[in-house]
Amino acid sequence: MPEVELRGIVKRFGKVTASRDIDLKIADGEYVTILGPSGCGKTTLIRMIAGIIEPSEGKVLIGGRDMEGVPIEERDIGYVFQNIALFPHLNALGNVSYGPVVRNKDRKEVEEIPRRYLELVKLLDRMKMFPSELSGGEQQKVSLARALASGAKILLLDEPLSALDARVRMDLRYELRRITKDLGLTVVHVTHDQEEAMTVSDRIVLMRNGRIVETNTPEMLYLEPKDLFTANFVGETNLLEGVVKEVLEDRSLVELRDGTVVEARPSKFKSGDAVVLSIRPERVHPASEGLGAVIRCITFMGTYIRISVETDSEDRVNFDVSTSEDRDYNIGDRVDLIWSKRSGILYPRPPEGVQEAIKLE
Amino acid sequence: MVAADDLELTVENGEYLCLLGPTGAGKTTTLRIIAGLTAPDSGQVFLDEKDVTKAEPEERNAVLLSQTYSLFPTMTVAENILFGPEIRKVPEEEKKRTLIELLDLVRLTKRADSYPRELSGGMQQRNALARALATNPDVLLLDEPLRALDARLRIDLRHELRSLAKALGLTVIHVTHDQEEALVMADRIAVIRDGRIIQVGTPREVFDSPATPFVANFVGQSNFFTGSILCSGNDRTTTVHDEEGRVVFARPCALPVDSKVVVAVKIGNTRVVKKSDAFLTGTVERALFEGRIVHLDVDVPGLGRYSVKLPASRRDQVSVGDEIGLNWSVKKASVFPYPEGGLENELKVD
Repeated sequence: MPEVELRGIVKRFGKVTASRDIDLKIADGEYVTILGPSGCGKTTLIRMIAGIIEPSEGKVLIGGRDMEGVPIEERDIGYVFQNIALFPHLNALGNVSYGPVVRNKDRKEVEEIPRRYLELVKLLDRMKMFPSELSGGEQQKVSLARALASGAKILLLDEPLSALDARVRMDLRYELRRITKDLGLTVVHVTHDQEEAMTVSDRIVLMRNGRIVETNTPEMLYLEPKDLFTANFVGETNLLEGVVKEVLEDRSLVELRDGTVVEARPSKFKSGDAVVLSIRPERVHPASEGLGAVIRCITFMGTYIRISVETDSEDRVNFDVSTSEDRDYNIGDRVDLIWSKRSGILYPRPPEGVQEAIKLE
Repeated sequence: MVAADDLELTVENGEYLCLLGPTGAGKTTTLRIIAGLTAPDSGQVFLDEKDVTKAEPEERNAVLLSQTYSLFPTMTVAENILFGPEIRKVPEEEKKRTLIELLDLVRLTKRADSYPRELSGGMQQRNALARALATNPDVLLLDEPLRALDARLRIDLRHELRSLAKALGLTVIHVTHDQEEALVMADRIAVIRDGRIIQVGTPREVFDSPATPFVANFVGQSNFFTGSILCSGNDRTTTVHDEEGRVVFARPCALPVDSKVVVAVKIGNTRVVKKSDAFLTGTVERALFEGRIVHLDVDVPGLGRYSVKLPASRRDQVSVGDEIGLNWSVKKASVFPYPEGGLENELKVD
């Protein structure tokens, strides 16, 4: 039962607190991503699970067992690093064999296991090649095969795709999830890339400033973010500032800075509360009547067109239209925008200001 | 090894051009040749119609911003910016003015006395940009300027970087491996592979009318169908069939009947439809929620995996295991002669 549990974890480096109040349970066979901007403490967290560093307070439990003082090689963990760490003087097969060899398996297994995992990452035909002869994506697949070949039931992935080209990264994401699910592994994957996190995870743990902001499935984090930071970080969103006018049973009415009243989901706010309305670009539509705006920028995105406008309420709003749409959009044109009352989510206006609340670095 | 081969490219004054290609395509080499840091074995470089092939880097009025920024760690933000003007013995008054202007431009006025290690990744990037601009160049050469930054920050900084270059009237050549970055930022994109430029065009041209199957798949992923032409000709929809009798349609092409071809259609332009309207049918293997869209992998028997980006609002209509139909708008599908080295080899990105 390789479930991983973090209980009341705090980690301090001198005066700096890198992690605080971390409570997290990862189920057997679950694929969990720890997501957050640079410096949010995600790498510190994965290193504590690995046993590379010890927490200042709290406990790491693996399979219910307290890991205090247990070194990495006894934790049943495979680890893949961001900067591909292969032995340059060993070929792909040699690199993958390294795990089973140090674990003193019998000879037959040492022969067999590496080949099985090289096949899994589709590199059996390149097993005699040295790292310098392999592409970046192939090298990272060898690192993965090596981590898997150790037989560990828990796989820790520390920004495993960050060093790769965008296109290669996209392909490897799906591979990572397929392989680890096929093997039934418990995976903890650290990344700063929200798109990557959405694609591979069963659950995402979103971190900021050493704390967990929110933990949920990709779908719930995107559709029902509980926090303004989440709404902005996981997927793109538009944030409009206003004041609650009235809350009805089926919707909230919000007055924007120019006096326009727009709709959002029902909420617990009272009239007069200062709020931020979050609405995804794909949920905003041009209409004959609505929030007035002027087009400032038009960007071709391939399968859709991103239109960026300045609203009469002085908010910046992005929305998307299909490339096959008949209507012609030009910079300087006026448009009216609407959205469904079910798509707008309200958050209390943060005391430190919206920009500060969503700041990435 | 030939890093850049038979390379021809003209960049207009004030244009923002993205040089897009996979690692090892020769992007950085090309940039270094323009900057004068690497000499070409043959061929010429012109800046403002003047042959600068033999000119020293500092005589070129083109400045290269490297991927790692190369800021001096023992110098402050301000000292880094003034490094160039200092060497060129620019008068004190002018140096002061340049510094104030540039700090303001890249929003680092408050951090003028900080050292690089005290800055976030985004600030270091802006510091390096300001240093590059201090030499007052006409041409800015950017080597993966956003690569070292977090994914989310990268997206936010795209517009900022482009607007800045446009506001200063600079001619920019921006090297990237990220097709989305190129689509969003470029006036024109030059797709480079194995040291050769395969296609130059506006983002829309490169995306909608790719010159080769490689471009079709590198700039926004594509689904492919291999077969031979059943019917083609002027302004007629191209009909392509395979040996199993499957038939798909694509935009008009000049290739004769019976030619072996591949049809490419972007996964974002591939639609989920009723089986009666389908070109192909298959079973949904995976449905991955990605926010505004759901990524579907569909196994089409005998053809393998097709991918579809379904708007998330339709996600309740499809689940894993369902048998679904696929088709596409005929004008969104391109036809190419079957590549000589095979399709897999043609599409290789890594």
